[in-house]
Amino acid sequence: SCSSWLPQRVPLQGSHWQSSLLELRTSLPVRAQPKKKKKVDVKKEQAQKERMKKKLKKLEKAAPELIPIEDFITPLKYSESNRVRSLPALSPEESERRVLLLKKWCLFKQKQDEAEKKAIKALVESQQEALKELRLESEELYEAAIRRDEGLFPFEREGPSYTPPLPGYDPPEGKCIDITKVYTQ
Amino acid sequence: DAFLSFQRSYRSRPTHGIGKFKYLLPKEVPKKRKEKVQMKEISAGTEYQFGDVNIQMTSYDLCLVEHFAQYVHRLCNRLSIRVNESYAMPTKTNEVLFMEERGSKMQLDAVLTTHQRVVQIRGLSSTFAPILLEIIQSSQPEGVHLLMKQHTEADFKSRLKSRPELEELLAEMS
Repeated sequence: SCSSWLPQRVPLQGSHWQSSLLELRTSLPVRAQPKKKKKVDVKKEQAQKERMKKKLKKLEKAAPELIPIEDFITPLKYSESNRVRSLPALSPEESERRVLLLKKWCLFKQKQDEAEKKAIKALVESQQEALKELRLESEELYEAAIRRDEGLFPFEREGPSYTPPLPGYDPPEGKCIDITKVYTQ
Repeated sequence: DAFLSFQRSYRSRPTHGIGKFKYLLPKEVPKKRKEKVQMKEISAGTEYQFGDVNIQMTSYDLCLVEHFAQYVHRLCNRLSIRVNESYAMPTKTNEVLFMEERGSKMQLDAVLTTHQRVVQIRGLSSTFAPILLEIIQSSQPEGVHLLMKQHTEADFKSRLKSRPELEELLAEMS
């Protein structure tokens, strides 16, 4: 059952004056209508179309702009203020301790990086060896293995968390509103 | 003969460089022309190589995601994987409201900003892709969401400002 206020989509029956569904306002020329109206209408329509085309051209000429990224714009309040922090002077023991700590950190990071490089090398080598063996086994399987994996992308993964989720936690009700600034050109 | 020849300055003679004057004039700064933002061609890749791949890292923590993006970029440089672009997507801000325990009013809890960095690589070989994925996953920090997908035009368009007037006109025309 359709409500009465819905616009009627069914073509009006009996109105053979109506030329098509789209142009509901125009109809077949009635004999009593003067001819001037038709010409002026057509001219007006043409002029309107021209104006729209010109506007479109002008808008299309302007190159699209990238949305400015707020991360890279320092807010003004940090550059205007005159507050300058004066750090306390470091004792020689403290500075010595810091330098030694820095060196230890450098060494630790270097070991970590080297371990990573070694891991990559080992992975690549073992992969190459496996492919070589596969090639000796069967050429077809080797070809299939070399091909790119379509199921690999898209790949999504959440980062690890410090703690697992609490069991039986009842979160309060709430909602999230997106207040990102919308830039228009 | 000497009259017809041009600029025959011998470098050992004291008359070398006679007639030069441009070094005395102040340096003209070349006019900076605004570069039009155009979409670069997206390569589809061959059967043994992936085309343009986007590594998108999202997080609430700006420094963390920035450093992770730098790490991934440097890793790709070291492994001689071509990096097309390394850019940042616009920041999204969310207001989190929660309902008070005794009351019907929504209370503002926090304003969270989501940052996203993208590293675009090209020519990743099919055999090396799982290794790269493994390395990136093993060094993924907490709270950083990783997403790797093929680059499409829609991804590029999402970086541009919306043009409602143009869209309106196009809708009217068609």
